[in-house]
Amino acid sequence: MAILGSFAFEEDFLGAARKLKSSGFDKLSLLSPLPLEEAQEIMGLEKSPVRHFSLAGAIFGAIAGFAMAVATSLVFILPTGGRAIITVPPFLIITYEMTILFGVLFTLLGFHFVSGLPAWRDKPYLTSAGIDRFVVIVEGAAADQVARAEAIIRDAGADEIRHVEEDQ
Amino acid sequence: MFDHGQPSYAEVNKDILSTMLETGPKYWMLLGMTMSVAGICFFMPWIYQLFVGVGAAGMNHNAVWGSYLSNFIFWIGLSHSGTLLSAVLHITNSPWRKSIYRSAEAMTLFSLMTATLFVMVHLGRVWFVHWSFPIPNQMGLWPNFRSPLMFDVMAITTYLTASSIFIYMGSVPDFAAVRDASTGLRRRLYTIFSFGWRGTAREWHTLGWAYTFFAVFVIPLAVSVHSIVSWDFALSAVPGFHHTIFAPYFVCGAIYSGTAGIVTVMYCLRKFLGFERYIGQVHLDSLGKLLITLSLIWSYINILELFTTWFGGTSFELEALSFRLTGFYAPLYWEMLIFCAFVPLLMLFKKIRWSWNKMLLISILINIGMLTERFIIVATSQPRKFLPDSFGYYVPSWIEISISVGSFAIFVTLFLIFIKWVPAISIYEVKETLKPLRRNV
Repeated sequence: MAILGSFAFEEDFLGAARKLKSSGFDKLSLLSPLPLEEAQEIMGLEKSPVRHFSLAGAIFGAIAGFAMAVATSLVFILPTGGRAIITVPPFLIITYEMTILFGVLFTLLGFHFVSGLPAWRDKPYLTSAGIDRFVVIVEGAAADQVARAEAIIRDAGADEIRHVEEDQ
Repeated sequence: MFDHGQPSYAEVNKDILSTMLETGPKYWMLLGMTMSVAGICFFMPWIYQLFVGVGAAGMNHNAVWGSYLSNFIFWIGLSHSGTLLSAVLHITNSPWRKSIYRSAEAMTLFSLMTATLFVMVHLGRVWFVHWSFPIPNQMGLWPNFRSPLMFDVMAITTYLTASSIFIYMGSVPDFAAVRDASTGLRRRLYTIFSFGWRGTAREWHTLGWAYTFFAVFVIPLAVSVHSIVSWDFALSAVPGFHHTIFAPYFVCGAIYSGTAGIVTVMYCLRKFLGFERYIGQVHLDSLGKLLITLSLIWSYINILELFTTWFGGTSFELEALSFRLTGFYAPLYWEMLIFCAFVPLLMLFKKIRWSWNKMLLISILINIGMLTERFIIVATSQPRKFLPDSFGYYVPSWIEISISVGSFAIFVTLFLIFIKWVPAISIYEVKETLKPLRRNV
């Protein structure tokens, strides 16, 4: 059973989230039509692991870019005016571009990995959360805790409370 | 920030989504017209050229590069302020970015696509384009990574990929808003596009971090792309091309041209999509100030280019400079200076900067000047190479002129398609600029 509480005001929504969290409801989801730093703080979200993906991608891209330029010039030798076959300055430009390319691609991968998206399977959701409502979702609440969670949400000023089955 | 009062969150959704979900006959007429112009002016002459060869263009023995490459640089330049400006303003947390960045990023994407088309047209035998990519082949051939043309391939493909991801990821929450506001096939499509976004704190948090990293990657990338395009010229020994100032010159010109392009696009969004409420005087004023700054930097670099050539005293360089200032294409050179160095100074007056019509006119003149600048670089340097026996003239043929005109129709067509598939203004970021609703207010 999941309980959805919809709020018209940001401050009420944040108040309910704080109260639920301090009352031991850990399986919370906070839905909002815009990013809210306070909501992220309540959820204990600080530095995102996405940054590790970005760094790993950039390092991988740099190595792969330079290696590609060196390897291809050794496989297919193009002598030009007696210059070195492995010419570092121009290869650094290829390295630079590949660093950025793989940095971006790995960041994208990191986003999907960390956010859990794509998630096309139905999850508790209110379409108004994409417009002008702030929604608190309490998931996995035991039968004896449902009334308590509902009371916290109602007292905080929710204008609508719904119950949905978790697999919906 | 808002000229006509602050809208509510629901109004933001309604105003922006209605431009996507409601389509009148005028839109279809305009789309049909631009598609027809693109087909007739761009693709038909290109097909003709594919049959008869690149001799159909005006390029000749003395000038092997012509308007196709000047158009390529122009479109790459126009692409520059979109993603770059969006990324810089995101990092610096500028609130006026939020209403305009989505369309500016789209401008980047479509300019890049148009620019890439010009490379294809210039290539002649376009069916061999895959030879420029580092892919294994049965002949054991690999591209020459010492060539600036290969730098171009790597830079532009990276820029295209990064810009596409940047605009797509920034649009995911808005795709979810479209999903929630639509039914049937459109709903199913946007469910896929939005990855099942719900707007949880974790999703926002992850998107915020990822988006910042995209911005951090995109800023040096954008600078590198036009530097690399400039090296196509500067790394050759041709008088008029071989300047160390070319990289900053091209990057500054690109941002300048792109910012002027944003003003033009913002005018059209306001006028034709009814976004007066979201794109207001604050945006116009900020863009105007940015344009003045860029125009001064651009003028300074132009003076430097003239001075260093004169001060260097190399006879070949002086001949190329003299041809540029007083030769066949001198009227175009002076037109460029008037449009890009003098006309923008009018924006020093607040009255001009606050007038949408005047700013539209100035932005168009700047881009005419920038297109001319790119043409002058290509057309006045190669036909003045070292010895008089290699002197000549380059005049674009009607095929080249037609393809140049058609490229604008391609750009507009892509933009018209875009505004029906992606919210032209970021819904959630506009909401961030609104004062939160308080119970006790």
